[in-house]
Amino acid sequence: MATFRAEVFQNEFLPDGGTDVHAIVTVSASGVGGAGTSGAGVAEIVMIDTSGSMTGPMLAAAKHAAQVALDHIPDGTWFAIVSGSHVAQRVFPYPNAPVAIVQMEPAARAEAKRAVARLSAQGGTAMSTWLRLADQIFATQPAVTQRHAILLTDGKNESEPRDQLTAAVTAVTGRFQCDARGVGERWQVDELREIATALLGTVELIANPADIAEDFRSLLAASLSRGVSDAQLRVWTPQGGQVLFVRQVAPTVEDLTARRTTVTPLVGAYPTGAWADESRDYHVAVRLPSKPLGAEQLAARVQVAVGGEVVAAGLVKAAWSDDASLTARISPEVAHYTGQAELASAIQEGLAAKAAGDEATATVKLGRAVQLAAETGNEEATSKLRRVVEIDDEEHGTVRLKRGASRLDEMALDTASTKTSRVRR
Amino acid sequence: MSGTGTAVVCPACGEAAGDGARFCEACGAPLAAAHGTGPDGADSADPSSAVPGSTDPGPAPGDPASSGAASPDPAQSGAASPGGSPEGTPPAGTAVDGASPCPACGGDVADDGYCAQCGARAPVERDHREERAAPHVAGVSDVGVRRRRNEDALALGAVPGPDPGATGGQAAGSSPGEDVSVLVVCDGVSSAPDSDVASQAAATAARDTLVAGAAHVPADDAAAWSRLLVAAGHAADDAARAAVDDATARQDPPSCTFAAAVAGPGLLVAGWLGDSRVYWLPDAGTPEQLTEDDSVAAELMADGMSRAAAERSPQAHAITRWLGADAEDTTARTVATRPGGPGWVLACSDGLWNYASAPEAVADLLRDAVARVGDDPLALSRDLVAWANASGGHDNVTVALARVPGTAAAGGGPADPQDDPHDDAGTAPTVRRRPPGSLPGEPPTDTGPSAP
Repeated sequence: MATFRAEVFQNEFLPDGGTDVHAIVTVSASGVGGAGTSGAGVAEIVMIDTSGSMTGPMLAAAKHAAQVALDHIPDGTWFAIVSGSHVAQRVFPYPNAPVAIVQMEPAARAEAKRAVARLSAQGGTAMSTWLRLADQIFATQPAVTQRHAILLTDGKNESEPRDQLTAAVTAVTGRFQCDARGVGERWQVDELREIATALLGTVELIANPADIAEDFRSLLAASLSRGVSDAQLRVWTPQGGQVLFVRQVAPTVEDLTARRTTVTPLVGAYPTGAWADESRDYHVAVRLPSKPLGAEQLAARVQVAVGGEVVAAGLVKAAWSDDASLTARISPEVAHYTGQAELASAIQEGLAAKAAGDEATATVKLGRAVQLAAETGNEEATSKLRRVVEIDDEEHGTVRLKRGASRLDEMALDTASTKTSRVRR
Repeated sequence: MSGTGTAVVCPACGEAAGDGARFCEACGAPLAAAHGTGPDGADSADPSSAVPGSTDPGPAPGDPASSGAASPDPAQSGAASPGGSPEGTPPAGTAVDGASPCPACGGDVADDGYCAQCGARAPVERDHREERAAPHVAGVSDVGVRRRRNEDALALGAVPGPDPGATGGQAAGSSPGEDVSVLVVCDGVSSAPDSDVASQAAATAARDTLVAGAAHVPADDAAAWSRLLVAAGHAADDAARAAVDDATARQDPPSCTFAAAVAGPGLLVAGWLGDSRVYWLPDAGTPEQLTEDDSVAAELMADGMSRAAAERSPQAHAITRWLGADAEDTTARTVATRPGGPGWVLACSDGLWNYASAPEAVADLLRDAVARVGDDPLALSRDLVAWANASGGHDNVTVALARVPGTAAAGGGPADPQDDPHDDAGTAPTVRRRPPGSLPGEPPTDTGPSAP
């Protein structure tokens, strides 16, 4: 039986007139069985880009990776394979099969592998069609609520306008989770990030096609270890209070603020998807009307709800004090993650400026990123930054743009920008 | 509470909740504790639960359990609820419907101790406690304005004194002439966590010791009373150390001051460690501060600094003696005096004397309060606490008052303290005689306290 725990880290003391309360809430799940132990069944769909650009070793690697994935989907798991170009096609179960999705068993596995082997590459790329087809396939088994998809592409979503992709993402949000992978350097990080963010998944660059198989294996292993299919973060704020933002800050930065659904006038729910034994950190910021010195109140109740039932809760407090030694402190956890969030946006803004030709802004932003990465011990970000900028002074963020930085290096930095380092406690 | 065990209603928002659900689906408030399906109001172990009537200003109904010894008047003893503990945790099963609404907005208070609507912290009983041990013995302890937790503690008692002149049939009424009044005030050291737990345990233990011993000590034996006060101090110290399990292991174990006064027929004895005080405020005559603070400010005054300057100095409130696991010497100093006439014994924490320190100031304060609210000690205590809060309320404030009638006890006792053959500074440990009429506010020039 999964146990959730919520711990709150904050400085609850506000100065006279202070209104903003920040807290880091660490939510930990333990005792979560593997996927399917909650009883309702698990479904996996692998979506492979078969647009013309994939022709050659890229497609071969993708097909191999799909077959590896099939080996790692255990018997009993519902699954399907989709090939996507400017249209989406169900590869297995076969297009003329009466069912859209089947449970894994040895014969199905063998047939699916044969179907994958016959894939060929042609056409453009319109990922909205892939997402909608996956959604339709999942929907044929409404009882199976833990739904996960892997999307692999090598190029831009060139066959449709961006808002068509956005509309599809919006339509399928909340219906399944999706991890997005881009192989090579011709795909757009922001397109896949849009998909992964909305569908509660991760986005990664795979530089070498030979690595796709291993990536799929670990994605499936992670997905299948999630025994809690859906948990919600619920935030209660008092009457007169206002949620400034709710962000996941570890393991990756994701702004959840806009994904709030209303439970009651004072309680909002934010989706967090499926959980394995893991812990995630959230940064919650609330604005309250200021109270007189000496007053104390609750700024927020942060709860975890599984299946509609609250299973863990933490209290975020506010206390007004005239003691400067209390109010001036910043909770180390809040400071760390505020820095991490700033790091993510500094990297993304710096790369965007560089792409737009604004080298001055790019230098400043990426310099700030270097500084933050060093301060917060985010070594992965530092190493990826090094491939894009020459670091003259880490402490002061003095950098120079590297002339020969490859597109792949920039994309690697971009996709890694949302990965945070945990606060050291 | 459990009722039929089927329909369960959320105490915070009123939504029906599923059987066995631990949290309300609509608002997230916790429902029942681990046992039972009914939404119990307060878990009896939860100290932050709101208690009905905890801020009720009415004299009798709001009082928690008062003193141990019999308060013979049934009207008063009716107020002592046997199930309530001094900590104010309500008996299990205080129904949800009875939970008092949030004082800030009228909403329901969730089990986590905060309002489900506006988030205000629900007042805990300790935030404002009133106690009455007898018609003439009462006190109030309040969290103050600026502090979030009340670390002051109060414990009162009234014992019908042994009447040497009476025959077997003793009058049942608690006539003030025979009663022994017991006042105990303990102020937790706020820098040490859990000092509030220690202070309450200490005050209760000291009061119980005094009340139990009162029956056996001759009414006018100052030395014996002093020894009883010292014993009460030790009992309080033991209780303070035992109040938390790991007290000795902590770097900053819970600690508190101790100030106790026993007012018997014709004799008033006070014992103390720290800077909580006992004042003697006669109706006619010179008011006195009976205790002498164990504090840096008092040492400065002993060296000749004026009271005003000493109490303003930076370390003024640093106390030099206290109760707790890290206290070296917990033998209370004591002082005995014979009231020359009627008056008030006032025991208080520094939350009051921070705003009125010199005995004359306290006497004036009390006189004004009597003019405002009459001579009921509970009303007076409330008034003084309100005055301290109005003056700033920077600290927890506790005031306890006992009315001393000042008439000669039946059977006689010398009105003139100088003639009392029992007063013998040489045989009594740590007794210091201070005849009434000595200049108030001056450090004692006669015999200082004997070595403990």
